[in-house]
Amino acid sequence: MNYDVLVVGSGIGGMESALKLGDMGYKVLVVEKEPSVGGKMILLSKVFPTLDCASCISTPKMAATTHHPNIDVMIYSEVERIKRGRDGRFQVRVRKKPTFVNQALCTGCRQCEMTCNVAVPDQYNADMVARRAAYIAFPQAVPKKAVIEREGTSPCSFACPAGIKAHGYVALVRAGKYQEAFNLILETTPVIGSLGRACYAPCEGECTRGDLEGPLPIRKLKRFVADTYYREHAEPEHKPAGEVKDKKVAVVGSGPAGLTAAMHLARRGYRVKIFEAESRPGGMLRLAIPSYRLPKDVVDRDIKNVTALGVEIETGVRVEDPAGLKEQGFDAVFVATGTPGTRKLRVEGEDLDGVMTSLDFLRRVNLGEKISLEGKTVVVAGGGNVAVDSARVAVRLGARRVIVQYRRSRAEMPAHDWEIKGAEKEGVEFQYLSAPQKFIGENGKLTGIECIKMELGPPDAGGRRKPVAVKGSEYRLPADFVITAVGLAPATEQLAGRLELNQNGTISVNPETLQTSVPFVFAGGDVVTGPSMIVNAVAQGRRAAFFIDRYLRGEELEGTGYDYRMPAVDKQKVTGRQRSYRTLAPVPGREVTGVRAGDFTEIELPLTVEEARYSAGRCLDCGVCSECRQCVAACPAGAIDMTMRAEEVDVEASSVIVSTGFKLFDANLKPQYGYGKYKNVITGMQMDRLLAPTRPYNTVLRPHDGKVPDNIAFILCTGSRDCTVDNPLCSRVCCMYSVKQNQLIMGALPLADVTVYYIDIRAFSKGYEEFYQQASAMGANFIKGRVARIEEKEDGNLVLHYEDIDNGGKLSRAEHDLVVLSVGLLPNTGVFNLFDGDKLEADEFLYVKEVNEDVNPGQTSIDGVFVAGTASGAKDIPDSILHAGAAAAQAAAYVERIRMSK
Amino acid sequence: MKEEVRDIREIIREEMLMRDKILAVLRDGPKTVPEIAQALGCPSHEVMYWVMGMRKYGHVAETEEEDGYYKYRAVAGEGK
Repeated sequence: MNYDVLVVGSGIGGMESALKLGDMGYKVLVVEKEPSVGGKMILLSKVFPTLDCASCISTPKMAATTHHPNIDVMIYSEVERIKRGRDGRFQVRVRKKPTFVNQALCTGCRQCEMTCNVAVPDQYNADMVARRAAYIAFPQAVPKKAVIEREGTSPCSFACPAGIKAHGYVALVRAGKYQEAFNLILETTPVIGSLGRACYAPCEGECTRGDLEGPLPIRKLKRFVADTYYREHAEPEHKPAGEVKDKKVAVVGSGPAGLTAAMHLARRGYRVKIFEAESRPGGMLRLAIPSYRLPKDVVDRDIKNVTALGVEIETGVRVEDPAGLKEQGFDAVFVATGTPGTRKLRVEGEDLDGVMTSLDFLRRVNLGEKISLEGKTVVVAGGGNVAVDSARVAVRLGARRVIVQYRRSRAEMPAHDWEIKGAEKEGVEFQYLSAPQKFIGENGKLTGIECIKMELGPPDAGGRRKPVAVKGSEYRLPADFVITAVGLAPATEQLAGRLELNQNGTISVNPETLQTSVPFVFAGGDVVTGPSMIVNAVAQGRRAAFFIDRYLRGEELEGTGYDYRMPAVDKQKVTGRQRSYRTLAPVPGREVTGVRAGDFTEIELPLTVEEARYSAGRCLDCGVCSECRQCVAACPAGAIDMTMRAEEVDVEASSVIVSTGFKLFDANLKPQYGYGKYKNVITGMQMDRLLAPTRPYNTVLRPHDGKVPDNIAFILCTGSRDCTVDNPLCSRVCCMYSVKQNQLIMGALPLADVTVYYIDIRAFSKGYEEFYQQASAMGANFIKGRVARIEEKEDGNLVLHYEDIDNGGKLSRAEHDLVVLSVGLLPNTGVFNLFDGDKLEADEFLYVKEVNEDVNPGQTSIDGVFVAGTASGAKDIPDSILHAGAAAAQAAAYVERIRMSK
Repeated sequence: MKEEVRDIREIIREEMLMRDKILAVLRDGPKTVPEIAQALGCPSHEVMYWVMGMRKYGHVAETEEEDGYYKYRAVAGEGK
């Protein structure tokens, strides 16, 4: 795209330059970093000295700029680089930030804002009130379109292999929207109650709050959401998809992968049938996880989330040839049979009566088989979570003594620390650096174990120290029952020759699409990955459904964007957003104590409502937008597009006008005035917002307590004409905007006293002196004197200590109930980084230097680059407009000059 | 006053958590910010952020002024 002139910034200066050039017939591109044009002027209450409404002046120019036939406006965009090309024209790279709202569809109705669950400071109201992550910048925004502030994927959500929007449901719990939280998780998986109990929660490992006092209990919040929903909805609310396709999909296996895939496929309208080899559906959720950790009624209710969609489940059916299902009318098959096989210890006596594999043991118990270990000594060989689960089940079956025997030390134990501690509390003994060598029996029945002590040798290929037997350390351990828990394996022998398998028996698939060697057969979950987390199986089920759908629709599988997540947001950046953090201790985990034989009561106690909301309230909103998707549901225009990404756009322009405005002085740099600490000390910009029609409060109120102030002080020259903060310049506007605010306050609050502490009043322009005199005549009290410091009283009132110059320079004190710091203007130095090759020079105060100010106003150190408005120095609005007109004329002349020279 | 100085971002983030509590306090009738603060046991300047955020998004509205303080009442919410 080619333009005559690029205008960087759309404040009053930028708009004025653009409009003048557009009117002259030049093609102009305006680039604005905010979601609306208008700069700072649109945020003001009124302008001085006429007291005209700032919005009434700005909005026609904002509309004219965006609708001018010769002007293109790129909002929410930033110029990244300006470089002069060989032909003398400027090559400009612009980064269009993603708004996540289709600007063509958005009607500006604010429904997204109203339903958004993330509150952040509203920079357009000088941080005096909240806005939402989804927001329209301000009521007069042009264009009046919403944007969503997303800095990336929150680390918790990014850590979830299944793509469950952890931040989203945490934000919904925080807002008390439990049903919405449930439905958000249900978008990804049906096994919500199960994950809420048995997920290993990789999200919590990445929680940024973990860098402070400890992570949020994200898993328990999921359980809270599921329990709350299930309590109110014994049966699912959702129904089968409205439009049913004529294609059928078979899912082999009803574990978390199969159930998740079935749900997604059924939602897409496919007719789905699950085949399950066991007598009850649920896979490992039902068979492997003890009911004291995951009650089976929860599994049943999770499964109803799938069957409610019309998915049929047939149990007791072992599918030996998945591809053969085609002959039964299935168009695609998803194999998710998990790892129902167990590895052998390969020691003598493993076949004795009284030796059982962990999975077989847990499966029998979970399916209700009566196994009594009353009074027996039980040894569990292994160190993983399944071993610990088996031990704790053995305790519940009445075992007298339960020993977990592990060949490495505790530090190497794969089971989670909290699981080990839980087992220890229940009386389970742990024998580390010990291994069985032989199971001893009499008459085919186990009587004991011949063990040997181990020591840790050098690390193996995987980096773990290898256990080595200690010679001569053999000992005998009496045992009535042994559970071997040394790993799970897929049972895929029957698939050999039908599907391509890996050496370890897992099914070979394309890792991206999960397609097997038979095109219409897909596979996922543990049967592909080997033993893994439930949430990994969920991830595979979801992925498989996505690609099966594409396959059945005849679409390309390779190269499609399955994972549209943004990169995880930098945690250090998140914690750097705040200067301080209140310590919010995590809710301690609570478990039922005193386990009795036969008691499989769930041991982990749920979060109470108060605990859940408190815990969710600790969330730092890392990504800003939580991806709760409430805006997606609320937007009547369907404008929300979370897949939007930043774009880089290259344009050319013959000339550039820099109109990047100014920054306001940070009042925190004058600590003697207590800004940020004393709540009733505010800045001039904050007072302007309080006086504006689109103000943050219902009227002018004290931020401390909402009181209508009646004794307001202004301290002029805060941060200007002040070498202690390295700013010797006069701001040129703080006298007059303060006088303006005096008059507006006296109009809004007729009973309020207004006092202005000043060094001198600079009423230099047309009508300014009269304006100042008018304020004085209205009752504003002008005291010539510098305020040294401010103290805050118990009631929030403020005591000012000042030098009373007109009364002999004596030190005086005065009490006010609101203090306004009339902050000065500072240069916006970001502009100097834009140019590549040419150097945009700064003046001694770091404003853009006008190299020939008297003769050629607006001319900078770069030929063809001009400066407009306050980017070149502090100015009031009339001067900015005048200066912008000069810059436009300079740019036009430059464009014509190079045109003629060609 | 010796109050903990909390980051504005942290206070504002809590609006979502405090909204239901504030609406519960207002069930008894309109209240000023200090009255709400007392009922919640929270600093009044923090309650200002929450109440004004709720006002902006249509959860509360001001009623009459009394002794220099406006009272706020619960409302149905914009667009509801």
